[in-house]
Amino acid sequence: MQETFWQRRLRDVAAVLVVGVFMFPLFWWALTSFKPTSAIFDKDGIVWFNFKPTLVNYAVTMLGKSRAELAIESGNTFGVGGASSYDSRQTIIDSLIVAIGATALTVLLAVMAAYALSRMRFRWRQAYLNWILSQRFMPPIAIIVPVVFMFHYMSLLDTRLGLILVDTLINLPIAVLLMKSFYDDVPVDVDEAAMIDGATRLQIFWRVVLPMVKGGVAATAVLCFIFSWTEFLLSLFLTNSIRTLPVKITTFVTSTGSEWGFIAALGTTAVIPSFIFILLVQKQLVRGLTLGSLKE
Amino acid sequence: MASVTISNVRKSYGGFEVLHGIDLSIANGEFVVLLGPSGCGKSTLLRMVAGLEPISSGQISIGNVVVNDLHPKDRDIAMVFQNYALYAHLSVFDNMAFSMQLKKRPKDEIRRKVEWAASILNLTPYLDRQPRQLSGGQRQRVAMGRAIVRDPSVFLFDEPLSNLDAKLRVQMRTEIKELHHKLSTTTIYVTHDQIEAMTMADTIVVLRDGKIEQIGKPLDIYDRPANLFVAEFIGSPAMNFLSGEVATEAGRPVVHSNGVALPLPSDVKATVGQTVKYGIRPEHLRPGAGTEGIPAKVSVVEPTGPEIHIYADIGGQEVCAITQDRLELSPDDQIRLVPALDRIRLFEPETGKVIGSDETRPRTLMRA
Repeated sequence: MQETFWQRRLRDVAAVLVVGVFMFPLFWWALTSFKPTSAIFDKDGIVWFNFKPTLVNYAVTMLGKSRAELAIESGNTFGVGGASSYDSRQTIIDSLIVAIGATALTVLLAVMAAYALSRMRFRWRQAYLNWILSQRFMPPIAIIVPVVFMFHYMSLLDTRLGLILVDTLINLPIAVLLMKSFYDDVPVDVDEAAMIDGATRLQIFWRVVLPMVKGGVAATAVLCFIFSWTEFLLSLFLTNSIRTLPVKITTFVTSTGSEWGFIAALGTTAVIPSFIFILLVQKQLVRGLTLGSLKE
Repeated sequence: MASVTISNVRKSYGGFEVLHGIDLSIANGEFVVLLGPSGCGKSTLLRMVAGLEPISSGQISIGNVVVNDLHPKDRDIAMVFQNYALYAHLSVFDNMAFSMQLKKRPKDEIRRKVEWAASILNLTPYLDRQPRQLSGGQRQRVAMGRAIVRDPSVFLFDEPLSNLDAKLRVQMRTEIKELHHKLSTTTIYVTHDQIEAMTMADTIVVLRDGKIEQIGKPLDIYDRPANLFVAEFIGSPAMNFLSGEVATEAGRPVVHSNGVALPLPSDVKATVGQTVKYGIRPEHLRPGAGTEGIPAKVSVVEPTGPEIHIYADIGGQEVCAITQDRLELSPDDQIRLVPALDRIRLFEPETGKVIGSDETRPRTLMRA
């Protein structure tokens, strides 16, 4: 159907609106992070752009300065508080280690398990698949008590390794099922052609099939990374000194009030690693990499 | 190059037997087509030769080596799949070079062989492309290139042309035949397309329900089908069949079918009173003049260009006749159809077997 000029215009406007709706919270959050406390909550109404931008919130959360220090440095006296407990540099490092570690471990296990489930025929295969799926039925809160006990006995409480393992545990079922569906899209004929060409099972997996599902690996990795990066509950229960980002942010809600400026600054910073990660893999995310091996 | 011997090969899944004792010997350099409807076991047989399906019982030899327990890579075969099965992430060059890279052959040898294969298949300009940048025909050629660089003893083709459009299929058919002519490698080719089988094969093996129905040269199979199934399966439009009973009329043998007398050659092997299926191909049934031939009523006329297909009714049974004469016919016209007596085949209705075996008729006479 040929679109008229106005139909096309209307569609563009609708697209901008939708993007706007989804982007607005991010924008508002970033804006808030540059506001002084007085501009975040103003009794006279919403403050849009008529404030003096400040980097105080970042200086406190990212550089570990206290507000008192900053006040002395600039000769101003606009508030107290902002001790070193707001320093989130270690938090970001911990979160990155946990998220990258959990993603790498999950993807490593999932690509191999899913290949086997996609290609090999064994007894109870379907039952096994259903069992994997069933692992996602339970909310993590349901297993938190036994996990805490197990981690206690294994000395995994309050360790990054412990968080990596538990995130992997939660991510693995969905990663395996997702990867299996990508493998299923690659015809078995490709494996057989490689087998006749003289490849061993490992060579078929590593040199032929895995490169053909690169897009799937990227998608799975993004999913795992985002889960791990934003995971709150398990991290809250299993750690004390090590704090991942979501847990750290909750500590900014104190008995003397919520530090919205710090929360906004850390929240805005937290977007950046996910953003970079997705940017890195987005080329692979485009599906249809298997195109060309097949008839259409 | 090597011969292939398949002796009493069976395949069963669980307790269900899909191949019931196949015996087939393929000479060195021969182009054999396994032809049959879907589900007849032709692909399974091919995959057993390739080593992709275990053999339930029996023996398959390539050359003088029994390959039953050999891994596919050790059978010295190459296979072209229906959906090409290319390595989508590799260039055309790497697709073809893959098997040699696995064997860690020297780089210059790999380059030489791939370039040689590419030149045979007109793929030289595309060596750096990815499979997705190629057309269907080119992809199929890459799949063939991947097979020929290995210089195997036996080529296996599993319905390689069924994903191509009609025009390309005709072109690729010729290319595969030329390729076989150039390389003279023993080839087993699976298809359900009788035209492919007829045009390409040295020998056609017709399969049905896991059994061999007939083995023969394309024209032998066409001219002298061993049974009703082969007669029906090969040829388009299909052979006409009329049911009736053998009798004599004015001293000449005929088949009485719904009150119509169908003429038979005088040396017919059937006995009087026997019920038979009277088989005659459309092109051997020509419209006759005067009182000659079998009376029929035209139902549909289909001009195809080179010829006219006449569908007509003989005693309540529909037949097709083909003529190159530009006849002006319309439905309900009364015509007479004259069968070529030496082309008539009689079949037993129950067993489907042809009456009067091939041995009783000299080949030269039949060819004439």
